[in-house]
Amino acid sequence: MLAIRDLSFRYPGAETPALDGVSFDAVRGEVLGLLGPNGAGKTTLIAHLAGLLPIQGGSITVAGQPLAAARAAQPTRIAVAPQEYAFYATLSVTENLDCFAGVGGLTGNKKRERIAASLAVAQLEHYRDVRAEQLSGGLKRRLNLAIALLHQPEVLLFDEPTVGVDPQSRAFLLDAVQQLADDGCTVIYTSHYMEEVEAIADRVVILDHGKVLKSGTLHELLADGSMQLNIAAEGGEEDRLVAALGAFGTITRHAQGVQLAMATQPALLAALAAVQAAGLTIRYAKFGSANLEQLFMALTHRSLRD
Amino acid sequence: MLLSLMKKELLALSRDIHGLGALFFMPVIFIVVMSMALKDVYAPENKEVSYAILQQDDGAAAKKLAERWQKDRPGALAAPEDWREQVRAGKLKYVLQIDKDFSATLADMDGKPHVAARLLADPGLDNGVFETSKARLVAQVTQLRMEALLAKLPKQMVKPDAAVLDGGALAAAERMAASTRPTAVQQNVPAWLVFGMFFVVASIAGLFVDERGCGALARLRSLGVAPSRMIAAKVLPYMLVNGVQALLMLAVGAWFMPLIGGDALSLSGIHWPALLLMLLAISAAAVSLALAIACLVQTHAQASAFGPILNVLMAALGGIMVPIFVMPPVMQQIARFSPMNWGLEGLLTVVLRSGEIGGVLPEAGKLFCFAALMLAAAYLLFRRQV
Repeated sequence: MLAIRDLSFRYPGAETPALDGVSFDAVRGEVLGLLGPNGAGKTTLIAHLAGLLPIQGGSITVAGQPLAAARAAQPTRIAVAPQEYAFYATLSVTENLDCFAGVGGLTGNKKRERIAASLAVAQLEHYRDVRAEQLSGGLKRRLNLAIALLHQPEVLLFDEPTVGVDPQSRAFLLDAVQQLADDGCTVIYTSHYMEEVEAIADRVVILDHGKVLKSGTLHELLADGSMQLNIAAEGGEEDRLVAALGAFGTITRHAQGVQLAMATQPALLAALAAVQAAGLTIRYAKFGSANLEQLFMALTHRSLRD
Repeated sequence: MLLSLMKKELLALSRDIHGLGALFFMPVIFIVVMSMALKDVYAPENKEVSYAILQQDDGAAAKKLAERWQKDRPGALAAPEDWREQVRAGKLKYVLQIDKDFSATLADMDGKPHVAARLLADPGLDNGVFETSKARLVAQVTQLRMEALLAKLPKQMVKPDAAVLDGGALAAAERMAASTRPTAVQQNVPAWLVFGMFFVVASIAGLFVDERGCGALARLRSLGVAPSRMIAAKVLPYMLVNGVQALLMLAVGAWFMPLIGGDALSLSGIHWPALLLMLLAISAAAVSLALAIACLVQTHAQASAFGPILNVLMAALGGIMVPIFVMPPVMQQIARFSPMNWGLEGLLTVVLRSGEIGGVLPEAGKLFCFAALMLAAAYLLFRRQV
């Protein structure tokens, strides 16, 4: 549905490009998780898709049609639910929906139907006459969602849609996003909450410094990651743990023990035997594949970006 | 699309209490307060000026002077003992003192003339009233002197009647108004109407900062709304607001001011198409300037400070707050470049001078050119932001 090829962009006066040869596909009926630390290039990418930035290098196509042509023919094919509350605070929920519906070309019965449907999906019927400025954080996020749904877009971009909402609203929003994909929409979802992306994304793209570091299905990405043994011994003894496990992979010290990333074929039993042979008593051990957050941190490193 | 955006602008403005106050109530209050405060500047009420005559001469000429003075200004008081203190304190506005040798001095054609009648005025007396009273005293004394001179001529000479010596029968002064008399209301309604119409700067800039900050502008852009449409969607509603402002201000001048004791704004006989053209031109200039400022400011603090300050400066320079005829020449030259001055002069041409379309074309033309320039600037700035 959406194909991005070698997309590059450099802001005027910037030393490094914000996007540097980015390529990936977003498929109809799937949720694509777009991950990256601050400054990775996510916002620039979203601005391209929203038609706010011109393409300097590479291409974006929607169902085989260049993005600019697709947007010119029907701007509402791609909708963005931005991070900000992108609506008018002094207008009521319905007035906001009416405004954005009219701006997108909806009129008459069709407009009324779409407003009603969007209110229903976002479960905002009881708040239709409430001014947007009086809504809670969660309701504001739902209004952002409702506006994005007005024109039944084929591609929907959610830019950190759950920031600052309570767990109930977060669960509701995630369910709604999943349902949109199930209904055939192409969904691109960015978030700093890895567990959200892990919960709903079919495919993941990890972006940093304007480049794609990793992309694929969630299963592929996690399978590619190393197996990890997190282990702690009685009485501390990190130095002795490092000495005993050094031959089995890369070791990282933790406050409560060490983490062993097994580079080769997992040899769990041999590693545990080496610990016992060193005379150490195991206090805690956890073994398994890396989760998305660990993969993300390993790929993007831990240094602060802001 | 355009209708939805315009509806949104009007809804947002209708919920901006401070903006509405600045747009509608502030100019009304200015019109009411300034018209009442300046009422006597355009129509000084001499009968309300308390004065006394200190008659120290019983001669015929002195009596004639007192009599003629009171004919124009009835209500002279007898000068009290402490009249000097009362004049200094402003309780008496002036005292006309007729010295005891006034009649003799007037009739004496050979001796060296000296002052025998004088006006002693309150230091705070309006300069206009003081100067006109002084000129009137000099004129009346001159006429009495000529009458005394005629009386001295030989009896066999043909003497003109005293009435022939009255300069008032030969000279007159009047304002060149076709149908309306200049009053404080007639001057103030156009002035504060122009000021109020330019106050859309603060409202537009504030709402625009909101719109840009919350991401709504980016959302509109992503929905395919062109910058030119976004600008057009702001121009039309605010021109409508300017129209409502104009109706309100004219109604206040015409109907409300008489109810509270002020003069009524007279619109009879004015050229309505010329008035409409001027209002359109002022509105186009005000809204375009507002849009350019709105695209320039980045924060609410800048919007709420820059807009009103610019307005007050333009009003001060443009003759809204201070009539330009009292300004020094340099300031008068500067005022000629103020859009508010163009608007004010055009409106005054319509409501005071019965001007028609041709009479206001220079001002309307300048305002439309200014509007085009500001719109172009707003468009260029706007394109860089969305």
